[in-house]
Amino acid sequence: MRLFLTCCLLLLSACSREPLYHSQSYVFGTLVDISIYGEDQQRAQALSDHVFKDFQKLHDRLHAWQPNSELSRLNQSFAAGTEPVVIDDALASMIEEATAWSVRSGGRFNPAIGHLIQQWGFQRDEFTPVAIDDAAIGKLVAAKPQMTDIVIQGQQVYSKNPAVKLDLGGYAKGYALDRAADYLRSEGVRHALVNIGGNIIALGKHGEHAWRVGIQHPRKPGPIATLDLEDGWAIGTSGDYQRYFEQDGKRYCHLIDPATGYPADQTQSVTILVPPSDNNGVVSDVASKPIFLAAPAERVDASKRMGIDHVMLIDATGRILVSVDMAKKLRWVEQDVIAQPLL
Amino acid sequence: MSSRNPFSNQRPLWGDWLVLACALIVVAFTFYRFWQNETAGKLVIRQGDRVFASYSLDQDRTLDIHGPLGNSRVEIAHGKVRFSSAPCTNQYCVHHGWLSKVGQVAICLPNQVSLELIGAKRPYDSLNY
Repeated sequence: MRLFLTCCLLLLSACSREPLYHSQSYVFGTLVDISIYGEDQQRAQALSDHVFKDFQKLHDRLHAWQPNSELSRLNQSFAAGTEPVVIDDALASMIEEATAWSVRSGGRFNPAIGHLIQQWGFQRDEFTPVAIDDAAIGKLVAAKPQMTDIVIQGQQVYSKNPAVKLDLGGYAKGYALDRAADYLRSEGVRHALVNIGGNIIALGKHGEHAWRVGIQHPRKPGPIATLDLEDGWAIGTSGDYQRYFEQDGKRYCHLIDPATGYPADQTQSVTILVPPSDNNGVVSDVASKPIFLAAPAERVDASKRMGIDHVMLIDATGRILVSVDMAKKLRWVEQDVIAQPLL
Repeated sequence: MSSRNPFSNQRPLWGDWLVLACALIVVAFTFYRFWQNETAGKLVIRQGDRVFASYSLDQDRTLDIHGPLGNSRVEIAHGKVRFSSAPCTNQYCVHHGWLSKVGQVAICLPNQVSLELIGAKRPYDSLNY
């Protein structure tokens, strides 16, 4: 009997003290949360504090509208002419990686359109409606800023096109995820979940089961579906619902089509799942944008170009389109969800 | 042992069944009443990197939470909660309206305030938004 009671007490104490550490903060203009499972609380806290600090440093370096950030100074030199400036290896490799994805996307993912993003008022902390200046937008599109205009030779960099203005808002969060995953793994952490706004990467599991992620409904306060994010997988969502403004009853979201210069209006949200690789955080960030911007008939092609098999897309009318692979992963939160195949 | 027990040969009487039935009803009722209430939802309010407070939804209450832009007003009433006003320009958090189900979330990124309804078990570990 005494043994039985002891066992019960042990079980109860195991229940009440799950070895899960959770913390959150606001970085990159969004909510970041980190869960670490199976580590001592103090160690988990120290590890996640380190990750938050690293994120903040990265955010400061790559800030697109603080005039003294490293990125802003680089943009100033791009605008001034073709005189090369020196950057460090990390920034050079970020630009090279972003350029490779831009080329692969056929230019739909284009971090060189900082001037357009600024024109639409999305390089601010708060998004108030702006006067839409069609002529100015036309000019910025005609100047054709491309990632391939940037020339990197060793640590020297310049732009062949003064219209190039880097805004890594569609890349930096994914890059930060990969860094966080690398760091936590190098510290021997086996189970963690790192969420930067719409981008999440999973290490290991949450106890007995996989990490479970909710996917935000683009028009309701809560998840539309949940799924298990297996060890090493990443998930990314691009939506029109957190960063946008409304003017004359029309929604203008922060995802701007580089080809037209106007915000995309065919899509409410795109969620993609990316299998384990050494840069799938970046993929989860950059690869959802071209699918979001693509015309309805070109969505499948856009996902194939980016190498994405798992896609859920909610179009402007609220229709839910799901790829075959994604359908196997999703658990709908509401009973009466009608999803159509994305073919 | 059993031969010394004067009741050992007797079958249960109808009163015994009645007591047993009453006991079962009481257990079922308390389970339903208290267990259900626990899962019906607790509100966690976060501001910045800390938990501001946790509240039961079983009360009427108005709270002001101070963020970088100013005060976000949170209203709890009749088992539901909402942002009734916020200092952000897009008012995305306010437009969400009332939250009442476990797993529902409203996040005000500009003022760094979030509301989350949790039950005995969280339906997910993190939200992809």
